[in-house]
Amino acid sequence: MAEVEERDFKCLRCSAVFKLTYTKGVMQERQCPKCGSNSVRIEKKQEKTSAPDTGKTG
Amino acid sequence: MDVGRHPNIRLLTYSKVESIKGYVGNFQVEVLKKARYVDENQCTACGDCAKVCPVVVPDEYQQGLSSRKAIYIPFAQAVPSASLIDMNSCLGTNPIACGKCADKCDKKCIDYDAKDEKIEFKVGTVIVATGMDVFDPTSLEEYGYTKYENVVTSMEFERLLSAGGPSDGHFIRPTDRQRPKTVGFIQCVGSRCEKIGRPYCSNICCMNTIKDTLLLKDHYPDIQAKVFYIDIRAFGKGFEDLFKRSKEAGVHYVRGIPGEITEDPQTRNLKVLVEDTTSNKIEEHEFDMMVLSVGVTPRLDMPEVQQLLTLSKTPDGFFMEAHPKLKPVDAPSIGIYFAGCAEAPKDVKDSVTQASAAAARAETLLSAGKVKLEAITSTLNTDLCHYCASCAKVCPYGAFTVDPKKKTISYVEALCKGCGTCAAECRFGALTMKHFTDEQLITQIDAHLAEKPNEKVIVFACNWCSYAGADTCGGARLQYPPNQRLIRTMCSGRVDEKFILHAFKKGAPMVVVSGCHYVDCHYIDANRWTQKRVEKLWDKFDRWGIRPERLLLEWISAAEGQRFQKTMQDIEQLRKKVTKEEIEHTIKVLTEEEERTKKKK
Repeated sequence: MAEVEERDFKCLRCSAVFKLTYTKGVMQERQCPKCGSNSVRIEKKQEKTSAPDTGKTG
Repeated sequence: MDVGRHPNIRLLTYSKVESIKGYVGNFQVEVLKKARYVDENQCTACGDCAKVCPVVVPDEYQQGLSSRKAIYIPFAQAVPSASLIDMNSCLGTNPIACGKCADKCDKKCIDYDAKDEKIEFKVGTVIVATGMDVFDPTSLEEYGYTKYENVVTSMEFERLLSAGGPSDGHFIRPTDRQRPKTVGFIQCVGSRCEKIGRPYCSNICCMNTIKDTLLLKDHYPDIQAKVFYIDIRAFGKGFEDLFKRSKEAGVHYVRGIPGEITEDPQTRNLKVLVEDTTSNKIEEHEFDMMVLSVGVTPRLDMPEVQQLLTLSKTPDGFFMEAHPKLKPVDAPSIGIYFAGCAEAPKDVKDSVTQASAAAARAETLLSAGKVKLEAITSTLNTDLCHYCASCAKVCPYGAFTVDPKKKTISYVEALCKGCGTCAAECRFGALTMKHFTDEQLITQIDAHLAEKPNEKVIVFACNWCSYAGADTCGGARLQYPPNQRLIRTMCSGRVDEKFILHAFKKGAPMVVVSGCHYVDCHYIDANRWTQKRVEKLWDKFDRWGIRPERLLLEWISAAEGQRFQKTMQDIEQLRKKVTKEEIEHTIKVLTEEEERTKKKK
């Protein structure tokens, strides 16, 4: 049985952070509970944050 | 019975399909016909062998409520009407430990040396009618199934009431073998319950219980019957009438599901506490016997069948049809059809309807003698192939067979449905999609971004859902920003990483990849690869210092015009936040990255 865990996800459309169930190796359709976007990405807290682009994001 | 006698039907019972290879019109099937140890053509089903057999085991057909012998006929109407030996229970044939059945058989049709037989044949189409299992309520401890003997499942109840059942049709309760005076039925056991991962309605249990109560009242009018339900789904022809008849016969229906069953240790009677949601009162009921109306579950061996035919499953675990409305009988792969509960829980009438439709669909295909295939398929250039097998990994239809060691690849174009996922995954350019070639799609991107690219949003939309969703949006006069440029692909799986990067390199501030929702994917599971690809790109963007927020993934169905509008409006707001400097930086990074990759090659 694959291990099901709750992980933090971030919506790339509205920046909302929320918890969803996650099973390693299992593809799931995920949706942001706030804006309904599917551009939902697992939060990688341990990793270094991405290098800033140009520092200017509008 | 008719099937067994039909001159054009070859019935292989007690057999297992080991492999199915090929495609429509050319399926090569390998079947393992298990040894029965009884010559089914000679056996007259007299039953003399079973009478002398000393081995007694629980009878599966009777739900374990009675016993059978090691040599037995599975059930009265079994086809063929012949005995078989259950070698797991038999005392042994090597050496022969008992041999009583062979001694007793006048026709001498028992052969202890019989062997399993492999049969191979070709078929043009395949109908999957593998049926279903019923839910095992043992895990629901609150109902005390197996803990309290007088709690039975609807299947066991059916056998107890049957003339051919373990009590010869005399309805008795298991503990004292007396006729019960009160019987309670609990509906939706193993159905419509998110908690146990079975959120779907099993379709048949309401009517099965109504039928059972009518049978009970018909046989024993003095028995009191109560049914506990969430709601009664009597939606078919004549079903409401049956429900009314049940109520008129005196069956009491209580809208509420008991939380627990407890047993009185003295009387072995069962007590339930339930909230009647029509009166909002808590009621206590006592019964001689409780029947759990168990739901339908996918068969345990479904994964094997799924692998044999490269089929897809719905979240419920049943097989997924090609289209829920337009192709409810067809599997996504051409020449494969569904009948009965393999596709979804359904009653006898619906199963017969679907089976007839499946037979007609298969017959139409076979009598035509030829099939029309997709014009949009992938083409393979073996000269460029590196036998990495990524195409075989992603193809939802199993059109590719690759042996990386032997450096061979076989591609059956007849199996290709044209999603283009293989072309998107192939890193060596060995696969091309007809009508959606790399050149064609890149030319579209170039054309869209030829002028004022920083004001445009490139939206890759799949033909069946997102592109149709945009159409729905337009048809409903819902306005969305005019600077969004849609590029149609048959499936979002066709959207190659290089198309996305090309759009960014050409100055696009935002790129959207959109496709069908998971359950709607017209190419079984091709859009899962889209998601994987986009997720990988987000990681790459992190490394390259590009904001991943500029690449969005959206699932939009054909009916979701409003969702399309809202998504595009939101994206326009995000586009406005992308600065010129950011776009220039992206172009620089991607150009450097491209040069680095070229140097590596």
